[in-house]
Amino acid sequence: MALTDKNSNKKSVATFCYQCVAGPDLMKVEVEDGIATRLESNYDIQDEHPGGGRVCVKAFGLIQKTYNPHRIKSPMKRTNPKKGRNEDPRFVPITWEEALNTVANKMKGILQDNPLDKSGYPRIAASFGGGGTPTQYMGTFPALLAAIGKVDMGFGAGQGVKCYHSEHLYGELWHRAFIVAVDSPHVNYILSCGHNGDAAAGVAGIWRHADARVRGMKRVQVEPHQSVTGGVAAEWIPIKPKTDAAFLYGVIYRIVIEQNWRDICDVERLEQDTNSPYLIGPNGFWMRDPKTEKPLIFDLNKKKSRPFDKEVKNPGMEGEFIVSGIEIGADEDRWVHKNIKVKTSFQKFIDHMREYTPEWAEKHSDVPAKTIRKVADEFIENACIGQTIEVEGEEMPYRPVAILLGKTVNNGWGGYNCCWARTMLMTLVGALEVPGGNVGSNVKLNRPADSRQKSAVKGPDGFMEYPFNETTKTDWEKDPSIRNAFKTLVPLAANSAWSPALGPAHLPWLFQKKAPSNWPTPTKPDIWFCYRTNPAISSWNAPEVADRVAEFPFICAFAYTMDETNHFADILLPEATDLESTQLIQIGSAKFVEQLWGHEGWAIRQPACDKTVDYMDMTDIATELAARSGLLEKYNAAINRGAGGQKLITEEFDYGLTENKQHSNENIWDATAKAASHKLSNGEEIHDLNWFKENGYMLKPYSTKNWYLYPHMKKNKIRFELPYQERILRHGTQLARRLHETGIEWWDKQLEEYEALPSYDSFPDIWLDHVREEGGNPDDYPFWAVTSRSMQYSWGLNAGIPMINEVAQNVTGHKGVLINRGEAKKLGISEGDPIRIDSISGFTSGFAVLREGVRPDTVVMIGQFDHWKTPFAKDLNLPSLNSLTSLSLSLTDSTGSGSDLARVKITKTSGPKRTDQRIESGANL
Amino acid sequence: MNETSHKRWGMTIDVNRCVGCQTCTVACKHANDTVPGVQWRKVLDVEVGEYPDVERLFLVTGCQHCAEPSCVPVCPTGATKQRDDGLITMDYDLCIGCASCAVACPYQARTIVHDEPTYFGVSTPQETKVAHDERIGVAQKCTFCIDRVDEGLEAGLNPGEDPLATPACASSCISQAIKFGDFNDPASHVSELVATRDYFQMHEQLGNDPQIKYLIETPAVPARNSDPMDLSDETLLDTEHALVGKRQTFWDMRAAMNFIMGGIGSGSAVVAYLLWISGNVNSQFLVVVNIVSSIILAIGLFCVWLKIGRKLRAPLAILRPQTSWMSREIYVAGIFFGSVALYFFEPNSLFLTSAAIGAGLFLYCQGRILHSGKGIPTWRVSQMPLMLVATGLLEGICLSAVLHFGWDSEISVTSILPPAAIILILFNSFLWRRYARNAKVWGISPIDRNIIGSLSPKLYIFGHCIPLILFGIAFFVPNTESSIVCIASLLALIGSILWKATIITRACHMQNFALGKMPHRGSGKFAAPVIN
Repeated sequence: MALTDKNSNKKSVATFCYQCVAGPDLMKVEVEDGIATRLESNYDIQDEHPGGGRVCVKAFGLIQKTYNPHRIKSPMKRTNPKKGRNEDPRFVPITWEEALNTVANKMKGILQDNPLDKSGYPRIAASFGGGGTPTQYMGTFPALLAAIGKVDMGFGAGQGVKCYHSEHLYGELWHRAFIVAVDSPHVNYILSCGHNGDAAAGVAGIWRHADARVRGMKRVQVEPHQSVTGGVAAEWIPIKPKTDAAFLYGVIYRIVIEQNWRDICDVERLEQDTNSPYLIGPNGFWMRDPKTEKPLIFDLNKKKSRPFDKEVKNPGMEGEFIVSGIEIGADEDRWVHKNIKVKTSFQKFIDHMREYTPEWAEKHSDVPAKTIRKVADEFIENACIGQTIEVEGEEMPYRPVAILLGKTVNNGWGGYNCCWARTMLMTLVGALEVPGGNVGSNVKLNRPADSRQKSAVKGPDGFMEYPFNETTKTDWEKDPSIRNAFKTLVPLAANSAWSPALGPAHLPWLFQKKAPSNWPTPTKPDIWFCYRTNPAISSWNAPEVADRVAEFPFICAFAYTMDETNHFADILLPEATDLESTQLIQIGSAKFVEQLWGHEGWAIRQPACDKTVDYMDMTDIATELAARSGLLEKYNAAINRGAGGQKLITEEFDYGLTENKQHSNENIWDATAKAASHKLSNGEEIHDLNWFKENGYMLKPYSTKNWYLYPHMKKNKIRFELPYQERILRHGTQLARRLHETGIEWWDKQLEEYEALPSYDSFPDIWLDHVREEGGNPDDYPFWAVTSRSMQYSWGLNAGIPMINEVAQNVTGHKGVLINRGEAKKLGISEGDPIRIDSISGFTSGFAVLREGVRPDTVVMIGQFDHWKTPFAKDLNLPSLNSLTSLSLSLTDSTGSGSDLARVKITKTSGPKRTDQRIESGANL
Repeated sequence: MNETSHKRWGMTIDVNRCVGCQTCTVACKHANDTVPGVQWRKVLDVEVGEYPDVERLFLVTGCQHCAEPSCVPVCPTGATKQRDDGLITMDYDLCIGCASCAVACPYQARTIVHDEPTYFGVSTPQETKVAHDERIGVAQKCTFCIDRVDEGLEAGLNPGEDPLATPACASSCISQAIKFGDFNDPASHVSELVATRDYFQMHEQLGNDPQIKYLIETPAVPARNSDPMDLSDETLLDTEHALVGKRQTFWDMRAAMNFIMGGIGSGSAVVAYLLWISGNVNSQFLVVVNIVSSIILAIGLFCVWLKIGRKLRAPLAILRPQTSWMSREIYVAGIFFGSVALYFFEPNSLFLTSAAIGAGLFLYCQGRILHSGKGIPTWRVSQMPLMLVATGLLEGICLSAVLHFGWDSEISVTSILPPAAIILILFNSFLWRRYARNAKVWGISPIDRNIIGSLSPKLYIFGHCIPLILFGIAFFVPNTESSIVCIASLLALIGSILWKATIITRACHMQNFALGKMPHRGSGKFAAPVIN
């Protein structure tokens, strides 16, 4: 690209793509006469970026996004007060002045009156798209939210089913892993239960896994249909949906019961670095030293119990031990025990697993017991127990095996079991948080957010502290502070800025329809801000959510084109899109998915091309709204505190904004640029905004030792909180008491999940029971409907971009519903036939795509479609699982998540077959 | 060119790296400004086997920049050339859009679009800015980003190593599946890869020596030979299957008309000449036949002219007689038309002879043109020229017989034409039978085999058997009504027209994609074996 820049009217503009959670990736836009013409990876960073500096397919849609003729071209207001899917909103163009004043005056009125409503919920709410990526585009809008103070950010847009929900929560609890990644540069064997990384792990993940495969890494993929990742794997094992826990339990059985675990597991790690030797009292809580209240372990050499933090070279692991001590249960219940027989955490684990034989697992999962044993043996064989590797001069354990879990595996019912089983398997071979094994990529619930190591602080029982939401009688939040009640219902969701999105974010929609008993009256927010999200498409039971959205009195939507959510809006604000706006963001270190870097720094997004519609940059919008609603000082103060991504005032420097003055976008980011570069270089290299515009990014080395948490834990004598989950049991018991004290019984099923050792339930039956619960007959819905990631579309809000559609068509599943060929034949369905898919709660329609790589009892709908408003997308006639999934308490697990899963029936409908454009051979002479 | 003459650019594509993300597809679209629907680089999502034994893989396709390209010699204008460094180039200003190259390519690499479609129905500022009017109506294909390579070399960069001097697909690839480089340089990365890894070239048996080499194994995934059972005939009947070639639409009925009219016209001229020279008809009859043939031939050529993308450039099609049968066809058509015309000014029998020679060569050229459609398995069979010539002669007999019907002549051709027709019908029938029977062996897809199969009875009965009987009656039964010969001729003509139209416009699916070897991975029997 740069090579053609001979004419002065051409330039190359450095910017980034952070459309999906697996980013950011850096790119350059070629601009000619002010028009963005082409786009390419920013190869300048290829040696430092973990994905060779490349951007993926989605980035290339951004130019069409910029010039989409369907864009909202100026601010608009609704003139039809009636809201509904079939109501024409009758939007009319207005000036920015009118638009901003309308919103700001509304905000002002609320803030001057009472920011909370009669139920105690914030009257202002805001929803953003998934994975936190909108934050990377919304400039200083977070500062406006901070200035407002009370904002309900718990209205979900699909969270819970669309994210790694249980993994987020348990991952952070067990090893500071909001996302459990794999150390792909070292791994040799991956067992993947539905983890569709080759569609979902971004450029870095795909780049590194490809390298790993060529190096010799073997991946075994266990999933109901052969995804992109399953295709590339060495082996695909078809499994019945939602039975992954059974499969993993079978693998554990093979390792710890069928064989002598001491011969094949990392015994030292289990004994010294986990709670395996902790003794458990008869009530299920740790046996504790009466004086120090520290959990006890049994010293086989000294033949007595001792506090866990004493040096015990030979702790008791198996069998029973006679000990004395105290047990502290829920709500400080105390028991004193004298010379009673107790077992260790590990023995309890062994006992717990005894019923889960590979043959048992086969019955549940359809995976042959022989295969389960083979996988277990391969896993052990590749674990390299006892081996070490040097990382930047430090010797670390080397365990090149990992287990990855996909969505629907690690969320909803069974998610806890799967996450626990995976983490247990990794713990058995000592592969957690070491080179080659599973590593966390970042923290979102624990603090500080920029360092997993710093967030891992030793707690009194020897494990990492964890900011559980209180469940004690005194501190439990009886009255939810926001509508999804994450602090009230989900202790594990913690209370960070991310927590509202990680609570049961679908409950506000559900409760709005039917309020549960003994619960504050569900209310609607007086203002709902909606940015880079489309809940009316992306939620579970999206049509139902659309109906609820229609009931909101005032919606301010930042709108790029019309879509299914902003169809209900009152004000549309066209914001500068990806190639038009300015922001500095942090890159590198360890972030999400597989963005594990050897560098860290900052990158810029900057306007690349001339303005074609009357948009405003999000930062300018935020500033204007702050100024007009009387929040300017608070807003600037929030920016100074770091709400724009970087603190402007620290002990080392002061690039702070004058708080009572309205600052331009350029000024704000110029100050941020200086502060960011100052901090990054310890004051040695201070760069302004223009420098970033010219150079694109700034980096410094980041130690790859930080990828692994185990050395930090070892150094600080922190143990992994496995296998036994005493704190889960404690919080579960306390929560049950609190809820029952309040008269709430509708969360009882969820409370059952708080087990110290998660037992297998027949999880698929939950979906059959749900059909019955809704008055249907499960026999009428003989198929499982699942979804799968579309790399071309996911997160990008790009369903309305035809070039993306064109290339996505090359990937199977983007033309309709995947059905097993043999099964389709039985139903008289052939390729391209129009079909209707019904679940107990909704229906969707599309065209049949026949495939061998899908279980006969399963159908697959890729991505999220069923658009009815978004230009171009609404004419695609693509189905969506979101129209079939039920918003239901019975399908909600204790962490507040569900699964992208439904029982469905398929009917061939009348109508023409799918007609594909003849683009394949191009020629049409 | 000197700088690049020692090079041999090519690519390796690692099937175990590729995840089918289409980043290369879209990066190519950006780098080369291709319009909606045109993908010079494309990644197929391939599935083989039957549940629960299934394998899925992603296959990067596009112009293979063959060392022995089949597209270059067929080009009648020289618009498609091969550079010394192996790159197959396109000169849009020289191309007439005849699609000979497109049907000659066994890799479905070429595209022709006749307008400038837009993504949103209106041209966006970007689309307007990057529009390429020169590509309308002409053949286009992957260039291996020739400009990036050349400009990169000029700038002292190393194509294959420096992303900006490397084809956009390879540079953009997020799994490093696509690598570009110089196969003549043993130290290049691509040379090292093919020296150390198992690979295959697609359709090696076709002899194009494609310069994309597919790497297919890793330590955990060994290679396996493709098994015919990987793809059942049922699967190969599914045009939605990524490997299955779509029906070519480059040459439609207008092109078929050239072969139909060309066969009838040239065949008649040859037959009439033979009848005249053997004394069975007078020169007057020959002249009439020549005039009729000229008209028929001209109609055929007019039809084919109607279908070319750049009609005003049609005369450029004479530029490549060295290799192109299409150019040669034009020259021999010139001989035929010229001779027929000259005869009017100078009724010298020499012109009758040269007209017949021109017509004969024209017929042969047509056979070779269709045969050089190497990308269409039904066309490229070795007996295709013979089939067209034999059919053309039969058509010639038939038309001559029809024209002779009612001809006020003392000489009756009924004693000559029926036995000749019988022989040619039998020969044509033999050729068709051989064609239909060997279709599978000759690599013709089940879709086309089915079409051929369903045509065969009609052709045998109406195009061969009934005319054979009628001609037999005419031959063996004295004083048969010449109308019987006429009916027989018409039926045989219809049969000929039918099979040509069918083969050119219906049984004309493009060469399937295929993998000579497969990565041994997937479920059931395809699962990678445990490596100890």
